Amino acid sequence: MPYVIGAPCIDVTDKSCMEECPVDCIYEGDRKLYINPALCIDCGACEPVCPVEAISQDRRVPTDQAEFVADNARFFTETLPGRDAPIGTSVNASELGRIGVDTELVAKHEAD
Amino acid sequence: MTTLERDLAVVGAGPVGLYAAYYAGFRGLSTAIIDSLPEPGGQVSAMYPEKPIYDIAGFPQVKGRDLVAGLVDQVARFNPTYVLGQPARTLVRQADGAFEITVADGRAVRVKAVVISGGIGTFTPRPLPAGGEWLGRGLSFFVPSLAAHAGQDVVIVGGGDSACDWALSLEPIARSVTLVHRRAAFRAHAHTVDQLLSSSVQVITDAEVTKVLGSDDVERVEITAKDGSTARRPAQAVIAALGFTANLGPIRDWGVDIVGNRYIPVDTTMATNVPGVYAAGDITDYRGKVRLIAVGFGEAAIAVNNAAVLINPDEQLFPGHSSDAVPAA
Repeated sequence: MPYVIGAPCIDVTDKSCMEECPVDCIYEGDRKLYINPALCIDCGACEPVCPVEAISQDRRVPTDQAEFVADNARFFTETLPGRDAPIGTSVNASELGRIGVDTELVAKHEAD
Repeated sequence: MTTLERDLAVVGAGPVGLYAAYYAGFRGLSTAIIDSLPEPGGQVSAMYPEKPIYDIAGFPQVKGRDLVAGLVDQVARFNPTYVLGQPARTLVRQADGAFEITVADGRAVRVKAVVISGGIGTFTPRPLPAGGEWLGRGLSFFVPSLAAHAGQDVVIVGGGDSACDWALSLEPIARSVTLVHRRAAFRAHAHTVDQLLSSSVQVITDAEVTKVLGSDDVERVEITAKDGSTARRPAQAVIAALGFTANLGPIRDWGVDIVGNRYIPVDTTMATNVPGVYAAGDITDYRGKVRLIAVGFGEAAIAVNNAAVLINPDEQLFPGHSSDAVPAA
């Protein structure tokens, strides 16, 4: 049921959404921000503040962004390069700060 | 400090908590409803008061604030005690089996059973970066009394429903109302924004309150626009309506099991691992859980009716039909 951040965020990372999120579940990778689907409460506060309209509900993701639904989840469930363990759900975004790495999909994304 | 004695404590005054209090009243239990926010309605009041909700049984469409008003009205005949604006801090089981809950101002509530309907946790207003030290000296997060702002120059910060609603409500009462919002787009309901823009409220977008100034109390604010230009204007009241952050907070220390850093596992009676402590609504977890108000209402009824039997073992679990047994109240 979570919201999902798609490709328009890549190399933008405006972070307005992070200020709005009431449950502190939007994490900063390197080139992109990611919503933790296990913590998102589906409130939608992030969606209207994104200046590049990168955020949508997972049920209404534009078809060309569909791969980002699983990719947002992967950021938390897979061990990212240079880390010992998956990020999981036990640490909120602001406690973790900038993580500085991305999923493979985002890291390989060609800059516009 | 005073100690309230009640049969049941409901922790969390959202829709599910209010409905739990209704059911407790129907079962003849006296109830205290505790919440960190100053108004009932929880997440619905704090975040979506103007959103139409379409999946409440019997209501094809109901606005968040109307649903809350209806629930408050429904429970009113049982006269519950509201302990609002007070986050519950501690829950301690006493030697005689009763529970004592202490809230932020030190008051205590002594009860025979507890229903935790705490949703996603305690809502805390986001601070105004420019002026936390002015809290209580002109800076506030809520408007408990419109009349208190009569004749004042009021500066409201934020772009959500609360900010816009308060600006419109204060317009005829205050000397002046200025609304400062960091962005050009508002999160508030479009109709409310239209009303605001055609009112006498001065709306300043793409700008922030960067300083709060005064001697004992707030006297002025500095507003900085995106282009870096600053302006000062008089303000005896600054209302920061910047939204909320939620955190499970002290509930983690109550001896109740927590899973996934957020949820309380319950059995089919909505009992937690602590006998006498039940949970209902978004905070509960079990196989097949669906986090909807509709489901939370059902859980509230299950939790309270089971608590009623725990409190009075001679009672039946089934409360009877409300249509047959309208209690005198």
